Amino acid sequence: MPMASLSRWTMSYFAAALAFLLAAEALAIAGIGYPAAGLAEPATLVLVHLVAIGWLSLAMAGALLQFVPVLVSRPLALPGLALPALFVLIAGLILLCAGFATLAGWIEAPLDLLPLGAGFLLAGFSLLGLMLVTTLLSARPITLFARFVLTGLACLAVTALSGATFTTLLSGRGGWLGTITLLPDGLPFHALLGLGGWLGLIAIGVSYRLFVMFMMAPEPPARRVRPVLLLASLGLALAFAGLAAPFAGIEPGAVWIAAALAVLILAGVFYGRDIHALYCTRRRKTLEINMLASIPAFVALGLGVALLPVAVLAHAGDGLIAALVFLIALGWLGGLTLAQLVKIVSFVTWLETYAPRLGRGPVPRVGDLVAMPRTGWWFLLYYGGIALAAAALAIETIDGFRATMALCLIGTAGLVAELIRIRRLSQIKAVDRPPAHERPRLLAARAEERRPVHVEAGSIAHPRA
Amino acid sequence: MSAHLERLVGIALRDVLDPEIGRSVVDLGLIYAITAAPDGAVTITMTTTTRGCPLAGFLKEAVAMAAGAVEGVVAVTVTLTYEPAWEPTMIAAE
Repeated sequence: MPMASLSRWTMSYFAAALAFLLAAEALAIAGIGYPAAGLAEPATLVLVHLVAIGWLSLAMAGALLQFVPVLVSRPLALPGLALPALFVLIAGLILLCAGFATLAGWIEAPLDLLPLGAGFLLAGFSLLGLMLVTTLLSARPITLFARFVLTGLACLAVTALSGATFTTLLSGRGGWLGTITLLPDGLPFHALLGLGGWLGLIAIGVSYRLFVMFMMAPEPPARRVRPVLLLASLGLALAFAGLAAPFAGIEPGAVWIAAALAVLILAGVFYGRDIHALYCTRRRKTLEINMLASIPAFVALGLGVALLPVAVLAHAGDGLIAALVFLIALGWLGGLTLAQLVKIVSFVTWLETYAPRLGRGPVPRVGDLVAMPRTGWWFLLYYGGIALAAAALAIETIDGFRATMALCLIGTAGLVAELIRIRRLSQIKAVDRPPAHERPRLLAARAEERRPVHVEAGSIAHPRA
Repeated sequence: MSAHLERLVGIALRDVLDPEIGRSVVDLGLIYAITAAPDGAVTITMTTTTRGCPLAGFLKEAVAMAAGAVEGVVAVTVTLTYEPAWEPTMIAAE
């Protein structure tokens, strides 16, 4: 039976993702983007894409590179593409943001930076998709978990392609589209497919599998999970149809968006029921920080999905809709990602450092690598900032939003420091740390250097020989 | 003699702790069977909490080491199986 190995570059993806999150929070505090600017203004687009691509997508990509092989019991296909994909994605995001900066008049540069950046992003996501799809399809039968990821990757492809089309329009090179009007009506569907499909649906699929492991809970039966995938796929198909509708001469309106959202919300309700059941039926009574810190994320999701369609249908102001999208993006997806990063980083670090010593004497537990309760306090600051910032957005107070984002920044910076301390084994007594040259590297796992001498099935070990 | 050796190996495996929970592989229900032949050859059938567990190879090795250290054991065969699949109800009550 093949053993999934460590993903060498996952830590680099996480580091880049966290750097972009800190940058986005700093820009928000500086008053760049919404609410100081309009929702569709270039300044807001810089902020939105730093969060959606820089933070959430890179963190998701890093986590998938580690967990897809584990969850399908197959080695990662084409692992050599992981680092080039990261560089291409970072370059693409920087070029895209430079394009938006040009659009805003902050810098003097050709607007062709926009489609150029989008091209890099398409290339980077294609490399990532190639690795993940090949890995997923190498395991048969194709499991429900794999279907979540494959559907999410399809949404990523549509999001990236539609984004690339938008950039050609914004750069003034959209003549090939003729009279078809994709902007601004296509933007909500682009956002739905990116946030709901690529990031949301995969987070849902992965959390089903990981939470079972993290809490030692019984796996939910497929008949309960399948409706979540089916409903979400239907909602995302509606979003895709909304994006493609202008090509058929149809103008999708608020009702179309609300319909897609309503189906996605139904999927969210079933998902919420299952996650609640996992928490309730867990055999691991004491929750670790990653599962505790996930609870506010689910509260943010609940609030966001319950109120967003109502706000859209009631034609609520930009403020309330922005607040609810903010809760879903940075409260649910951002909070859940930060919470699980603590777990993933500590587990991978333990695996690199102590797994080869298992059974040869006492070794620290995975949880010993995490500084508690300090890590919990950082999460409190982060979520406190998110709640207050969402309220500030809803009542449209610019200064209030900037001030409360400072809380998020402090919380995030604290968590980044904790993740670095985990990699440096700072919580472990000096006597239990390996020699300096064998300690984990900050940005790259020792993926191939620590593989154990396997006791393969059927072979005989002679430990006393 | 074989039953005695199987009991000793079972006791030895209580020292192999899961790094996540800190409980032994025996308490977690990961050890499905321990069989000792009269000549001291021991066969252990075990599982992990999930297929593809990154710890699988390390846990097998740790189990082989712990069993091999028992007096009277001359060889250890560790077999990983997912039939039946592990489930949380297999965890022993604390």
